[in-house]
Amino acid sequence: MFGDVRLSRVPAKFSGTRAELFWRLVGGYLLMVPTLGLYRFWVTTMKRQFYWHHTSIDGDALEYTGTPVQLLIGFLIALAVFLPLYIAFFYLSTQVGTVVVVGYGVVAALFWFLFGYASYRGRDFRLSRTLWRGIRFDQKGNAWAYATRQFLWSLLVVVTAGLAYPFMSADLWRYRYTNTWYGDRQFSFTGSWRTIAGPFYRAYATVAILVGAALGVGFLTEGRALALVPLLAIILGFGGFFYYRAREASRMFSEVRLGTAGLRVEIKARALAIQFAAYSGMLLVGFIIVGLVGFLVSLVVQGQFDFSSLAGIARAGWIGVALALGGYLVSLATLGLMAEVYLDCGYWMLVARGATITGIESLTSVRAGEEDKALAGEGLADALNVGSF
Amino acid sequence: MEPVGRYYDGVVAARRFVTFALTRDATPAELVIADRDTREEIDRWPVDTLFEVTGLGDELRLGAADRPYGARLRVPAGEWSVALRDALPGLGRRSQLQRGHQRRILGGAVAALASVIAAYVFGVPLLADGVTRLVPPAWETRLGDGARLQIEGMLSNGLGFRSCQDQFAAGNIAIERFAADVMAETGSPFAPRVMVVRSPLTNAFALPGGQVYYFSGLLERTETADEFAGVLAHELGHVVHRHGMEMLIESSATGLLVGFVLGDMTNLSVAAAAGATLIDSRFSRDAEREADEFAAAAGNRLGFSPLALADLLERVAADDTMTRTLALLNTHPLTDERRAALEAVEVAPATMRPAFSAAEWQAIKSMC
Repeated sequence: MFGDVRLSRVPAKFSGTRAELFWRLVGGYLLMVPTLGLYRFWVTTMKRQFYWHHTSIDGDALEYTGTPVQLLIGFLIALAVFLPLYIAFFYLSTQVGTVVVVGYGVVAALFWFLFGYASYRGRDFRLSRTLWRGIRFDQKGNAWAYATRQFLWSLLVVVTAGLAYPFMSADLWRYRYTNTWYGDRQFSFTGSWRTIAGPFYRAYATVAILVGAALGVGFLTEGRALALVPLLAIILGFGGFFYYRAREASRMFSEVRLGTAGLRVEIKARALAIQFAAYSGMLLVGFIIVGLVGFLVSLVVQGQFDFSSLAGIARAGWIGVALALGGYLVSLATLGLMAEVYLDCGYWMLVARGATITGIESLTSVRAGEEDKALAGEGLADALNVGSF
Repeated sequence: MEPVGRYYDGVVAARRFVTFALTRDATPAELVIADRDTREEIDRWPVDTLFEVTGLGDELRLGAADRPYGARLRVPAGEWSVALRDALPGLGRRSQLQRGHQRRILGGAVAALASVIAAYVFGVPLLADGVTRLVPPAWETRLGDGARLQIEGMLSNGLGFRSCQDQFAAGNIAIERFAADVMAETGSPFAPRVMVVRSPLTNAFALPGGQVYYFSGLLERTETADEFAGVLAHELGHVVHRHGMEMLIESSATGLLVGFVLGDMTNLSVAAAAGATLIDSRFSRDAEREADEFAAAAGNRLGFSPLALADLLERVAADDTMTRTLALLNTHPLTDERRAALEAVEVAPATMRPAFSAAEWQAIKSMC
């Protein structure tokens, strides 16, 4: 019908490199030590600036306007939410019998509920601090309503052994996107459970049939063939996961609309698998390096202290403690760094580079929305360790 | 080449390629922004309202305080971004002020957190003592029963502890008499329940609410009645000081603090657990010291030698360099330190008498 709309397909671009992110993160991690971890709010801000500012649509880069202090304040507010929960935990740890089981169940459910709330608020914070062409994004809707929705759906998913998942996923995507705004224009979501039903039930059935078959073979051969099961599980688990994750992201993102403009995202399962392989490989390299350095340090230290006097031993003891703690932190940082550089950054790159926007010229008539600066940080998201960019 | 940048007015989602120039016609000077192609003037930004926002590398991104929130002029990294930055010295000063402001907030927050940690490490042992006193003894006893079930399951593969002899055996009567002597005049609300159980572990421990366990593995290594009395008095010290309850309160508070530092209130990460263990070990060493002091005071009162406790500890721990290094992290203070502390309250030889009669000690020693 409108030939020109089909022609105007604009790809998104991402100009950042893993090396740049890596060195920025190393600097940030180092500063977290003398600041007792508080620098993490600055690291998060810096990381977002890296992602946002390197991502451009139709030549114009995104801008992240959030500040570390906003995150810090949000975290302090979240502490207030956590204190009562923490006291409940403490009380439970002093109790005996069924009250403990019931109590922990209730607290776990509350955490899961809060997790939904926190992730919605976090998304709100990020969107409302994102500018493109001088216009802000925003998220409306109600975080409590979203949390309730997610909570009830996940109960249903558990009851139906996972079969209800596509319904939950579609409903939550719809809630998120119909409440997302760019300036005065509202996003919409055209997908339904059918959007991902194919890949999901295919992956589900394949895993179910093959697990059943493996158990059957194991039963018939009286367990002799069971050695194959772990291998089978690894291949199936990862294969199914990458296939499904790539399909879900591609299909769901491709149902996002902004007025007459539309998003299309194409992510290949192969690319996800390669990324994961790169992550595993680099993790191995990282730990070999950390191990070698640790070994060398221990050789040097061993020659320096004399274990014949009590003072010498005490000194070596404290240095040993410091080294063990340092080694532990370095290992933890390596783990975090590799995950951020290879998995998180890799995923962002795949989505950004696999995205095209149709009908982008319709967006020139978008006007700025009303100001909404009520959000103080995304404290609960930080406290609950909600993993997101 | 004329300067070129991208301009967004913050009102409509449109990009315009613009050229710009500084004019000193007005006071203060103004940044005049004009369309690159039509030369039509778009806006004039007074330089004293300009602020810089973080851009990509050396790219210059400007906003103006009295313009809409998203109004921006972006000048790509190059000669013009450098030239404009040089021409607007107020800009550098403002971003420097901004950075200084951020550093002060970070510094203030770190100082506040550091003082919280310091107050915590030094203050909580005092606080936990007070809070513990508020906990009803019946609650603590119930807690101890729960802990016993867990520990029994863990240490005996779910079989439960097997007591060496029933409570009317001569050995147990002697132990009961001794425990009552030690607890007398302490005002403790708990009735001590000492149990010698069959287990290869060389250990003894106390649980909240007055339960004390002495393993047959440790009894085998115990050579004198005073050693046995010392260990028992030490464990009863934990009961009297309600250390089990105190540790529970302390470790919960530590979890909260470490969660704050690492920003993971769910405390699921290993780092949080490691940090919490490190701080808690400090408190537990204090508790051991208190229990030692209690044992020494009991020895003083009843007339047995508390130094025997150190003898047994040394024999069991065999105090090699490994344990010395570990002791810094460990829950128990170095035995050398403990011996020194015990020696400080050593009783005069004239009042010395064994904690158990020869017959009693014989009955205890042959219990298992």
